[in-house]
Amino acid sequence: MLDKPASALRLRERLLDSERLMEETGCYDGITELTLRNQDPLKFETLHTKLRAYCVSAREMARRISASPGVREVGEMVVAIYTPEGDAIALSNGIMVHVHTMSRFIKWMIKNGYEDNPRIREGDIFANNDAFIGTVQVPDVMDVVPIFHEGTLVGWAGAVCHELEAGGITPGGDVCLAQERFTEGLFVCAEKIGENDEIRRDYVIRCERNLRMPIYWVLDEKAKVASCIDMRESVKQLISEIGLDYWMKVSKEFIEEGRRAQLARTRQLTVPGIYRGHTFYGHVTAGKPGFQLLGDPDWLYNIPIEMEITTDGKITMDFEGTQPWGYHSMNCTPAGMDGGMFVTLTQHMNFEGLVNDGAWMATELKLPHGTWTNPDNEMVATATSWALLLPAYGVFQRLLSRSFVARGFVEEAFVGQVNSPMIEMGGESQYGTPFGMAHFECAAAGSGALAIKDGLDTAYVGWNPESDMGNIEVWEQSMPMVYIGRSIVPNSGGAGKYRGGCSFVSTWLINKTSHLRLHTSEHSSRVFDNGGMCGGYPAPTCQKHRAVRNSNIHELAAKGEPLAHAPGIDPHVSDYERNIGGDHVVVEGPYITSPHKSGDIFSHSYNGGGGYGDVLERDPIKTAWDVENGFLTREAADQVFGIVLKDDEDGYPIADIDATVERRAAMRKERLAKAIPVADWIAKERGRVEKADFAPEVKKMYASAIKLSSRFTREFSEFWNVDARSIFMPGAKP
Amino acid sequence: MTQPNLTGPIVGNPPIIGNPIVIGIDAGGTMTDTILVDQDGHFKIGKSATTPKNEAEGFLASAEDAADAWGISLESLFSGVNVVLYSGTGMLNTLLSRTGRRLGLITTKGLEDMILMGRGLQAWADYSYADRLHAVTHHHPDPLVPRRRTHGVTERIDQFGDIVLPLYEHEVSAAAKKLIADKVEAICIMTIFSHVNPVHEKRIAEICREEVEKAGADIIVYTSHEVRPVIREQSRLNSVLIEAYATSRGRKQLKGIEDVSKKYGFKYGVQTLLSFGGLTSINHPRLHETMISGPIGGILGAAYVGKLIGNDSLICSDMGGTSFDMGVITRGQTRIENEPLMDRFKLNVPTLHLDTIGAGAGMILKVDPLTKKVSLGPESAGSDPGPICFDRGGTEPTIADCDAILGRLNPHYFLGGKVVLQVEKARRAFQEKCSDILGVGVEEAAEGMIDMLESDANNALRRVISGQGIHPSEFTLLSYGGSGPLHLAGCSRGIGFKDIITFQFAAAFSAFGCTTADFMRRHSVSTQHDIPSRADEATLAAFGAKVTTVWNDLTKAAVDEMIDDGHTREKIRTVPFLMMRYTGQLEDVEVMAPLAEINSADDMRRVIDEFEAVYAKVNHRVSRYGEAGFTITELGLIATADKVKPVLLKRPLGASNPASAHKGVREAYIGGRWHKANLYEMDLLQPGHEVIGPAIIEHPATTLVVHPQDRVHVDEWTLLHYTHA
Repeated sequence: MLDKPASALRLRERLLDSERLMEETGCYDGITELTLRNQDPLKFETLHTKLRAYCVSAREMARRISASPGVREVGEMVVAIYTPEGDAIALSNGIMVHVHTMSRFIKWMIKNGYEDNPRIREGDIFANNDAFIGTVQVPDVMDVVPIFHEGTLVGWAGAVCHELEAGGITPGGDVCLAQERFTEGLFVCAEKIGENDEIRRDYVIRCERNLRMPIYWVLDEKAKVASCIDMRESVKQLISEIGLDYWMKVSKEFIEEGRRAQLARTRQLTVPGIYRGHTFYGHVTAGKPGFQLLGDPDWLYNIPIEMEITTDGKITMDFEGTQPWGYHSMNCTPAGMDGGMFVTLTQHMNFEGLVNDGAWMATELKLPHGTWTNPDNEMVATATSWALLLPAYGVFQRLLSRSFVARGFVEEAFVGQVNSPMIEMGGESQYGTPFGMAHFECAAAGSGALAIKDGLDTAYVGWNPESDMGNIEVWEQSMPMVYIGRSIVPNSGGAGKYRGGCSFVSTWLINKTSHLRLHTSEHSSRVFDNGGMCGGYPAPTCQKHRAVRNSNIHELAAKGEPLAHAPGIDPHVSDYERNIGGDHVVVEGPYITSPHKSGDIFSHSYNGGGGYGDVLERDPIKTAWDVENGFLTREAADQVFGIVLKDDEDGYPIADIDATVERRAAMRKERLAKAIPVADWIAKERGRVEKADFAPEVKKMYASAIKLSSRFTREFSEFWNVDARSIFMPGAKP
Repeated sequence: MTQPNLTGPIVGNPPIIGNPIVIGIDAGGTMTDTILVDQDGHFKIGKSATTPKNEAEGFLASAEDAADAWGISLESLFSGVNVVLYSGTGMLNTLLSRTGRRLGLITTKGLEDMILMGRGLQAWADYSYADRLHAVTHHHPDPLVPRRRTHGVTERIDQFGDIVLPLYEHEVSAAAKKLIADKVEAICIMTIFSHVNPVHEKRIAEICREEVEKAGADIIVYTSHEVRPVIREQSRLNSVLIEAYATSRGRKQLKGIEDVSKKYGFKYGVQTLLSFGGLTSINHPRLHETMISGPIGGILGAAYVGKLIGNDSLICSDMGGTSFDMGVITRGQTRIENEPLMDRFKLNVPTLHLDTIGAGAGMILKVDPLTKKVSLGPESAGSDPGPICFDRGGTEPTIADCDAILGRLNPHYFLGGKVVLQVEKARRAFQEKCSDILGVGVEEAAEGMIDMLESDANNALRRVISGQGIHPSEFTLLSYGGSGPLHLAGCSRGIGFKDIITFQFAAAFSAFGCTTADFMRRHSVSTQHDIPSRADEATLAAFGAKVTTVWNDLTKAAVDEMIDDGHTREKIRTVPFLMMRYTGQLEDVEVMAPLAEINSADDMRRVIDEFEAVYAKVNHRVSRYGEAGFTITELGLIATADKVKPVLLKRPLGASNPASAHKGVREAYIGGRWHKANLYEMDLLQPGHEVIGPAIIEHPATTLVVHPQDRVHVDEWTLLHYTHA
């Protein structure tokens, strides 16, 4: 228990002391007893509510200031209040992922001697977007200000916004062409960017001269600093009411209480034990302009995860066996991995009570050195780490959900998050000026299904539970293209008794520009990256980008001919190809190509979530509604779900229950007829394994995992009863 | 059902002479409150249960209750008044219960699914903090028009108003025919950027009307640019849909109220309240602008009282059973919220800004047996079943139960004795479900719960004030609503208000506020004036000239409309305003023009300076960015004309001893121990009286708790001023 006056130790020693106490006692900062909470539980609770209210309203103020539709329109921002050592005490709503990444940033400064140089003084402003110091990717720029009370550092206020333009090799922020750190954009590495509550003019000039659309970054910076100052002043006021000693103690008890609540919640909702799951991710860049041949252009990542829940409620996630980092933009740092863990926990277990860093402390991540989760080279790019993070934490959600179901909390089960890649753009705007922007309508994908109902359509992403796609009329003010379609993608939710939430697809007509660069970050290619649960299907994958260059749309429109507003439901010919003349382009994987101009058409779709339960148990009446409203096609109803639909007198689908029962009985018979004993299947597949009879990407995937992980090698060998090393790494020394 | 008269002489004892000239009625979810006002400022309150099926019944019952109190018949009441003001919930109920019109929608082709997709944020926007994070709880609101009656027509207009794709008229005819065949009652039209260039919407409407006429059908056509010509298509769509969906029944209800008023001799048209605070006739073309009007009355009433007491910076706070609404008037200005939520739909109707938190006497208290975490609400016991002490089937302890347990509520005087509170029952349940789990005594826990509620409200008030950039000592707090005075002490403690005021008529303050509204028009146009950061004299002057031209046009339009309504020119006041931002920002700041006209570069600089001052106040000075330049996105004008209003009666201060209002002593638990608290009858307090705590001042509709050593003094307007020790 920290009973010493706040100023006795320097920050660095205090931080190390705090970590040692946690190590020794198992409790945050050595707080083995919640003295203040026990003294007056209601005062304790009230104070925390107060701190949270400071955060929520500071975030709202910042959103008013921002020029970025990402922040103003879809809320890509979070703020929090920290202890002097950088542990989050209370936080706002928003992109929760960053609460703990900011914590890492503060600790990094303390550990790196910032007290001496550049010094930490009242009115200072520090910024960072270096993921190895503490963020996820370059566009996530964080600002923190120290909070002093009568000369003593008593905490920090911090804020993060996701910037829509980061000045990388391609416009936008999620720069998929970045293969090393040096092409990701403008780095601010734990830098003091202001003093006396003023942002330095030379820092603003650096931003103005190194970004394609500096107003987003600069006004967001001002918004963040304003919100930090707002929180700081509120905390100072609070301290003057409750006294410094009380503050120093209670702020830490909040965190210890958060830790205990998380453990209690885990004990309540889950069954202890070891859970395993995995997902895959495919990347296709062969032949795409701009990619340097630094590694394999096409590759496959395996993300196996082992989750252990102990009887005291601690959750450990182990990524042993996953792939090494690579010369691509999807590597992640431990800060990013922490962030993913934190945001997932807040959505499932830690959403009420004292939401703070305590929850994170009740968990542990095992991130093998040298893998994409913990690169042993700090030059690697992390510009689109979400592409791997989201599928990985989708696995975490499904593992937790299995545990919820096992414990009987069926309504908490959630197949979870999906990847939702964004479009990045730049070039000449509709105003004739240079511009750059990431289009954040991706923040409204389909969610995975629940165990009691379908997933949420077009309104969920894992990184921010307050998901939204924003208004068309606001986005169009920031880009030289107009929407000619924004519609639900049929069958985009994974099938199941409860289907995954569906995604949407946008179609744009490029307008009033002669030079528009369009790029996208990543959809997984060729493999599913979002699984289903309990028999539910994974969400569809490998969504293609479609474009029409030199289209004849204006000629067609002048004649009143039908146009195309979405790809349509024919898997072989899109509506664009059917109705519109011009040069049709279909691209798998990231969209990296030459600039577009007015009259071209471009479309991009987001992802739906995985399904839950057996497709043959799906409700035929809900399915008829789904078909009528474009969430499912008739073909899917029939072939996937075994649901027979007929038409009512107005031509709308209604379920034919009797015919459905009959059809499903037949399908069950077919299933049985096709089934073979597991032992037979294993024997057959073992033959392939022995010969390494796999696609080249699959072979490389196993080889790299075997090279990095002896545990993976051992378990693979034991399962298939083979010598994995000799199969996948012939000639390698043991 | 008529309830007993709940008022004594509201403004002291002087004999009532005149007849009422204004009837203000606020129909809330449970109760319909009436206030009658005469020329000299006397008023009386009536109350009756709201009757959602036919609001006229509740209206009449409530009016009759008030008329009884005044001692006149309904006939003499209605034939004597000049103004009948009604603010109801009918339209909101139509929306909530999804019992509105059968709609069809025509929109830009390719965007038909907007109905199903919504804004993602509508899946969680009005949720609590916890549920916002807890993603499995999110879901979309049910759409007001089904996808099968939504038709897309090929067309596109861009942000500059240029036609990118022409309108396919043949698709419009086909869609209209299909909707007519589908027997819709109204057709809504919303196309992208129609607020910039409405040419396509107008043409679509024309074709629809032609088809409707050809078919001999009775279908109304609504266009989004007429209903709400403002950017953000989802909000504009919601506005036009809600207008078409919910207002027809609402209009009927209002018409029914006008009919019964006329039946009893009322000679004029009934007025209703706009969400931005003015009065309009019930024939208002955009009736959805009146849907959020209930709590608005309180802000208007506060502004009115503020003028009377000579303070134009006020915080008004309304605490009922479920929510704590806070409004701010800063140096005479109210803030407009441009994108409020209604039943989880995002709208862009200008609404007087209210901050709301879940905090009220009906809030359900929970203690988690596992973590011992205490939570207040967000659920409320409402009026059915109500708190446990009401003994109407409630089983979950609420704040009101705590108030009863601690002796703060008089078990035999709730609603004037109509409800006898079952204190022991509440106490047993509270002990079992809360205090035993926490391991503390019943009284200690009950007071702790109340402290938490009051502290939430207290903190919310501080936040609201800090957003104004003005020191709390400039603000006067006005507290009202049925539970406002009961929790006033804790809500206001330690903030340092200039003054804290509550009212004998606290429970009907919103209805009172409605009667203080003026006739109003708010006209505005969207503009796009980008003023560079280094604009020279000539450029600034030129921008100023453009602005002045628009203001002059708006003034003429607004004044002409009001003259048509029978107001004389000299009684109409106009104030121009601008919506401004730094170029590139997405949110405006509303700036009341410091001048009526801009005639020089210096004038224009004054306007810009005013913007920067208002901006810095709201958003902190570090966030100023004049280097980016300034954009004026909207120019507007507010025109008002006075209406007869209640005049609070001023009387000389008498002796300070309140013995004439003293009605006994009761044990009340305050500040960790039981006290013998003096009881006073609120309506018997006279100007000059001073009550020193511990004391409880009772009224049939509300209770004011005076903490030990705190003081309440009654001023010459018979307002109650609360002073913390």
